[in-house]
Amino acid sequence: MKFDMDYIAHHNVLTETNPYFKLFLTIILLIVTLALDNLFFDVVVFIIMSIVILLIAKINYKSYLKFLTIPMAFLVITCIFLLFFYGKGDVIYDTGIWGIAVTNESWHYALYTFMRVIGCLPCLGFLALTTPIAKILNCLRTLKVPKLLVEIALLMYNTIFIFLNEIDTMQKAQDTRLGYHSYWSSFKSLGALASTIFLRSLDKSETLQFALDSRGYSGELPVYEPRKKEN
Amino acid sequence: MHIMEGYLPLTWCIIWFVISFIVVAFGLYQIKKIVDETPESKALLAVSGAFMFILSSLKLPSVTGSCSHPCGNGLGAALFGPAVTAVLATIVLLFQALLLAHGGLTTLGANIFSMGIVGPLAAWLVYKGLTKANISSTIAIFFAAFLGDLLTYVATSCQLALAFPGPGILMKFLTIFAVTQIPLAIGEGILTVIIWDRLKAYKPKLLDKLGALAPNEA
Repeated sequence: MKFDMDYIAHHNVLTETNPYFKLFLTIILLIVTLALDNLFFDVVVFIIMSIVILLIAKINYKSYLKFLTIPMAFLVITCIFLLFFYGKGDVIYDTGIWGIAVTNESWHYALYTFMRVIGCLPCLGFLALTTPIAKILNCLRTLKVPKLLVEIALLMYNTIFIFLNEIDTMQKAQDTRLGYHSYWSSFKSLGALASTIFLRSLDKSETLQFALDSRGYSGELPVYEPRKKEN
Repeated sequence: MHIMEGYLPLTWCIIWFVISFIVVAFGLYQIKKIVDETPESKALLAVSGAFMFILSSLKLPSVTGSCSHPCGNGLGAALFGPAVTAVLATIVLLFQALLLAHGGLTTLGANIFSMGIVGPLAAWLVYKGLTKANISSTIAIFFAAFLGDLLTYVATSCQLALAFPGPGILMKFLTIFAVTQIPLAIGEGILTVIIWDRLKAYKPKLLDKLGALAPNEA
């Protein structure tokens, strides 16, 4: 289990660009795309954002394709479903099997939904692939999102990566002992894994609290924002 | 599977954001009260949130052969109550969108509503109801996790049916999303029972302190 996207977010040309700009650009583009719901605009946004991601942020095209693949697969399935099973309006194409037919309304819904997602995905990708989470959270903090929420999110983000390493080790250990060789044993191994992580996480939260306390934590995490590197 | 970025029209995005905002704000208020009383609990909440995220990125072996991931919201709700789980689920969903391209920003409100509010609330009600009726907490947690997972997808189907209104469309979405989810929900139930048994064996005092055990087991 790897979070390639997090690595990419820290290592691309736009990492140091003003995060407020990236955040607002993404949100405004998303809202405009949804509000206009225009097929041409969707395509234009898709092309422009893809160019920004691939050529300006210089993100490897393989990583970008990987980012798109899973949502796309799901999108295609749901749109085919909408197309054939929506069943309202005039029939424009009849498959002849159990009355499954494409109607003008289902065609309209499927097409517009498909294009809307096509337009929105690169916007999300732009934010997710070029901006590290810590910077987004810092933006949210200054934008008056409750401090408590941002702080819990920051501590969570930190903890997730500690867990990932442990899970990797444990899963390999279980795998070498044939922990995943049948359904039932996978369930047992997965249950053992998850509960061990939970027990570990309790210890970890105690350690985290001690670490915070010993540095004078009083319910607020001051964050140092380094100035932009001068070239 | 969460509703993906851009799938819902703008009006529905806003409606779900408003509903979720109210519940999450209430949950945040609840957390603030807990943190003011016992400052140590902030670290516990953060680590539990991370656990929820990790749990949702584990692959669950399913009967149908496909792989899906557990929601983890049933366990969270049984341990911490639905309001707190809603807040943790909000952060988990935000991270899933930004780290795994799973779900999205515009559909965040809708996903919070299904995974962070409906699922945990149902799980919590079932869990509290069954333990009140003197049923062992192991059985109760199975049904809580099962229904928490299943109702998450029922809620998703309803949201999709509302966004694409048509005759009998709700039933069709339910067939696609909820019925296929039943084996996965059973899987999550079994997994949660295994986790729960070990928790009961190793940290009974903690479960007791959280008020998560059945009255006759405490």
